[in-house]
Amino acid sequence: MRFIVVRRTRSHPYIRPLVIVLSLLTGMMLVAILLTLIGAHPLATIVAIAYSFITPQVVKDMVLLTMLGCALLISFKGALWNVGAEGQLYTAIIPIVWITLYVAPWSASSPPYQSILVTLASITAAAIFGAMWGAIAGVLRAYVGIDEVPVTLIMNYIAYYLVNLLILGPFRGRYVYGYIRTDDLPDAYKLNINVVMQRTGNAFIDGFLEFIRVIVYYAYWVLAAILVALLTWIVFNHTSIGLKIKILGSNPEFLKAVGVDVRRTIVMALTLSGLLVGIASATYYLGDLTRLTYPIQAQTAGYGYLAILVAWLSMLELQLIPISAYIVSSLRNAGRNMQIFGLGGLESTLILLGSILLTYSTLRFLTEYEVRVVK
Amino acid sequence: MSDEYIVLKEISKKFAGGVVALDKVTISIRTGEVLALLGENGAGKSTLVKILYGLYSADEGSIYINGRRVDISNPSEAIRHGIVMVSQHPQLIDALSVAENLALGLRTFSVLTSIKRISNFILEKSREFGVRVDPWEKAWRLTYTQKQLVEMLRAMLLNARVILLDEALTYLPLEEKKKFYKFIKEFAEKGGSAVIITHKIPEALHVADRIAILRRGKLVGIIEGGRARIEDVRKMMFGESAVEITYERLPASQPRERSVIETQDLWVTGDFGEDAVRGVNLRVREGEVVGIAGIVGNGQRELTQALIGLRKVSRGRIFIGEIDVTNRGVHVVREMGVGYIPDSPLAFGISIDNSMAENIAALYQRKSMLIDWSKIREMASSLIEAYKIMIPDANSLIKVLSGGNIMKAVVSKEINYCKIALIAHNPTRALDEVSAAMVRKSIKERAINDGVAVLMVSEDLDEIYQVSDSIYVMNSGKLYGPFPPDEAERSKVEHLMVI
Amino acid sequence: MSLEHYIVNSIIELAPVFATFYLVALGHSLFEKAGLLDLAIDGVFFMSSSIAVGVAVASGSPVIGTIVAAISAMLLGAALAFLMTSLPISHGAIGLSMMFLGYGIGIIVGYPARLEVGSIAMYAYGESEAMAIMAVSIAIGVFVHIILKYTKLGAAIRACGENPHAAASLGVNVLLIRLIAGAAGFAIMGAGSSFFTLAWQKFWDPKSYTLGYGWLAFTAALTSGRHPIVLMPISLVFGGLIFYRVKIGVMYGVEKDVANLVPFIAALAAMLIFYSTKLKKALAPPASLGKIYYREERTI
Repeated sequence: MRFIVVRRTRSHPYIRPLVIVLSLLTGMMLVAILLTLIGAHPLATIVAIAYSFITPQVVKDMVLLTMLGCALLISFKGALWNVGAEGQLYTAIIPIVWITLYVAPWSASSPPYQSILVTLASITAAAIFGAMWGAIAGVLRAYVGIDEVPVTLIMNYIAYYLVNLLILGPFRGRYVYGYIRTDDLPDAYKLNINVVMQRTGNAFIDGFLEFIRVIVYYAYWVLAAILVALLTWIVFNHTSIGLKIKILGSNPEFLKAVGVDVRRTIVMALTLSGLLVGIASATYYLGDLTRLTYPIQAQTAGYGYLAILVAWLSMLELQLIPISAYIVSSLRNAGRNMQIFGLGGLESTLILLGSILLTYSTLRFLTEYEVRVVK
Repeated sequence: MSDEYIVLKEISKKFAGGVVALDKVTISIRTGEVLALLGENGAGKSTLVKILYGLYSADEGSIYINGRRVDISNPSEAIRHGIVMVSQHPQLIDALSVAENLALGLRTFSVLTSIKRISNFILEKSREFGVRVDPWEKAWRLTYTQKQLVEMLRAMLLNARVILLDEALTYLPLEEKKKFYKFIKEFAEKGGSAVIITHKIPEALHVADRIAILRRGKLVGIIEGGRARIEDVRKMMFGESAVEITYERLPASQPRERSVIETQDLWVTGDFGEDAVRGVNLRVREGEVVGIAGIVGNGQRELTQALIGLRKVSRGRIFIGEIDVTNRGVHVVREMGVGYIPDSPLAFGISIDNSMAENIAALYQRKSMLIDWSKIREMASSLIEAYKIMIPDANSLIKVLSGGNIMKAVVSKEINYCKIALIAHNPTRALDEVSAAMVRKSIKERAINDGVAVLMVSEDLDEIYQVSDSIYVMNSGKLYGPFPPDEAERSKVEHLMVI
Repeated sequence: MSLEHYIVNSIIELAPVFATFYLVALGHSLFEKAGLLDLAIDGVFFMSSSIAVGVAVASGSPVIGTIVAAISAMLLGAALAFLMTSLPISHGAIGLSMMFLGYGIGIIVGYPARLEVGSIAMYAYGESEAMAIMAVSIAIGVFVHIILKYTKLGAAIRACGENPHAAASLGVNVLLIRLIAGAAGFAIMGAGSSFFTLAWQKFWDPKSYTLGYGWLAFTAALTSGRHPIVLMPISLVFGGLIFYRVKIGVMYGVEKDVANLVPFIAALAAMLIFYSTKLKKALAPPASLGKIYYREERTI
């Protein structure tokens, strides 16, 4: 008796959601096993993970990861594995810090419209810088032939150290004591809407109100996410470059044979991807991060890497990105809640992420292939 | 009376897309016989043999060797049972030497045996078999014929009892082919068995003891070699539609004077640094169909790729529509309205993970910023209808189609696209005779009605004769001709193909 | 100090650095020669170096730490090779997932040890053992080179990397060969990683997973064409750049983060040079590296 793997002759209607659910379950089992080995209680682990799917903390990450997921989709669909979103994210923050703290610092006498101008300028500059960082990898891949995975990964580290140098140097905080970091973003430039909710005393209603409060707090992010998703949809469904990127991912030889400049397409894909990362990065900095702390590689929340999981989990389908973002943000949340060593949930997040990505990458083949038993 | 050595019982196989490749085929292979498997494209001959060699798995059915049921799940196991396959594409690994390639299957040598020792063994054995082979040579340096020779040597070294030849001899020059057939016959006389897949009926009649014919996955019949006649075999292969197939010449076109495709002293380098195309001077006029005959591997692929711009030219010039397009890139040539049906359709002809509509849009709307999907869908519908492509709709992915329909998708979009010229390399590959005839007619019509200059390269000499206004022969990178089809002696053309 | 003394001193200093980089890059190369893309390298590096620490502290012996690190990596390598050959799955995705998992597992194995003893210097290799480690590393490298180039096993491994379908057709048991290359390759990586914490740094920190040294070893392997002998000088160069960066920093009065940048920019430059010159053809990666091994059954 043996097992053979064959391509499906007909596709099963529910196979995709089934694979995602199966991956989640097996991944979580793997995590439970790993954590039990070091003394954690398996049931408590699973409960903590399950609970993390429904807390309001999920909202913030979900919105941000939706944006980043769409950004990575642009290059992933072209089979260009942009694992450099981390580097693109922090590179994009550089001009924002410069603009908001040094070019147009806020003071009591600043005109009211300045905040709008600065916000727009920041987002634009972030998009440009993110695009540039992506373009470098694109050029190296298209014109020199270097695989984009090691390039973008190494550029992540280069970005970290460059940002570190800026934090130590020109961006060093003047009004900070004790830590080495940049000055805080002026309140006027923050992209948040603050509301205060009355506590009713009823657990359910209070929980629900908290959700509303968080969504309103990040309202600008939700807007930006809708915009980014829309842009991505238009690119892939109505533009020529989107179609070229899709075919780049399925058969670049054919693209060559119809007379398309494949190298330019590669550069465009990575540049566009970086551009969207830049936009997401701007909302992230202006609406949450608000400052850079040294050393950045030890302080990063790792959204650039989380986004990779989001894009993969979505099977490169735009409609599934928000769902995938929800799942990944819940998992990250779970990681934070499951702290084992008081390291801020670092190790739990990494293990969760790794396990789910592992099980998903393994089981994904079931969407196109089936396993048969042959006697 | 020879024994039944291998029996394949009720073998069935279906491919993705619902294509039935084999339908309860039962056939035996006897000791000491040469069995020929005939059938048109897609009949299932290659699939059957690949199942026996462990490359494919059957959905149903079983295999018996010497009366015992066996399970062959990969080539290693097939080899262990004494079954070796040689296909039309040599399975040698280019980066390794001949000895290293052969060593991989020699079980008598342990894993840590030095390659040097194995090379000496091979040298000895090859002398025994009367074959000249340099075990130290890297595989990528060998010619096609030399590679097939090494494959046969491999079968002998592996102590094969059954040799499966999947179109292995089809592309060899005539002289070499005769030697191989002689070798096979001797092999059978000594007690071995051979299964030969070919689509050349006369060759099969010449060498086989028995001839099995497959059509659309079913075994139609088995004839004794001595008593078979070409017409009987033809009828069993094609069934009723044998009437529609005609190799008669299509009406000739009236080529105009203007040169559309022209090359001057063209030299093109191949993948391994060799001169694949040597000093070719070619001219295709408006409305003319020029056919290039020749055996695979004589530079045709490099020539067509250079013409469309996919491959760099090392010397000489290419003119399309009297404009010098040498090394200016594919986009320049495509811009002028040149269609391209490549020899590897799955690589350069279409993207199977995308839909019919997307494939059309990639070609037709590559220069626009936004895509007009309604126009594309219209075009897709008309092509699907005209070429009878069996596809659910324009948004279906190409990969669910059968091989023949994929080919139709490739061909239809290009024949429709071309405005001034069409470069077609094996345009009827994988098509059944009826569709193939239709494609040839379409191509000819575009030449006659719209003045498209057609350069057709084909390994099927019958096809060349049917469609061309002017025939050339390509051999070892050089072009011989032109020969007018109604006057040129067929045997002379065939001779030029094999010298 | 005389020149000879200086050189000898440098070699002694660099011995653990060289052993670490060389073995990690060597094991990685062996794995990839069989056609398996290894994007897990940085995760495996951190994980194995952490396991080595945890075991060394628990057992009191660095040698046992190295052995356990090698064995655990070996099992992982075999498992990955099995998955990537038997199922039509993306090598890159599996590799990156293993990277994250490696970081996480490394932390939960290493942190208790660090909490327990603080400094692990006591459980590390001594100075005298450093030279022995380097000699053993070179010996392993030569051994791997001989196998790959001169034996049937080596031909089979290379065949799986160049064209596994043709290799199968020629009679190679692709799964078995890749299991061997996978296990052996990762075992060597595990041993090399153990030398990072137990011979070179003699120190462990949870945040050291952000160092990215695995990717530098990846680049070293790439630019040396995954050739066991050519890899030796290249590993020395990368190792030297890292090891001396602090000294360089002090010498040129440069910020620590600038010195940190140097090896990564060097890696990028190395890749640029490799890919744009004739080196690319001479030291080309295996033709089927990272390709999904699935016998496509098609009718065209």
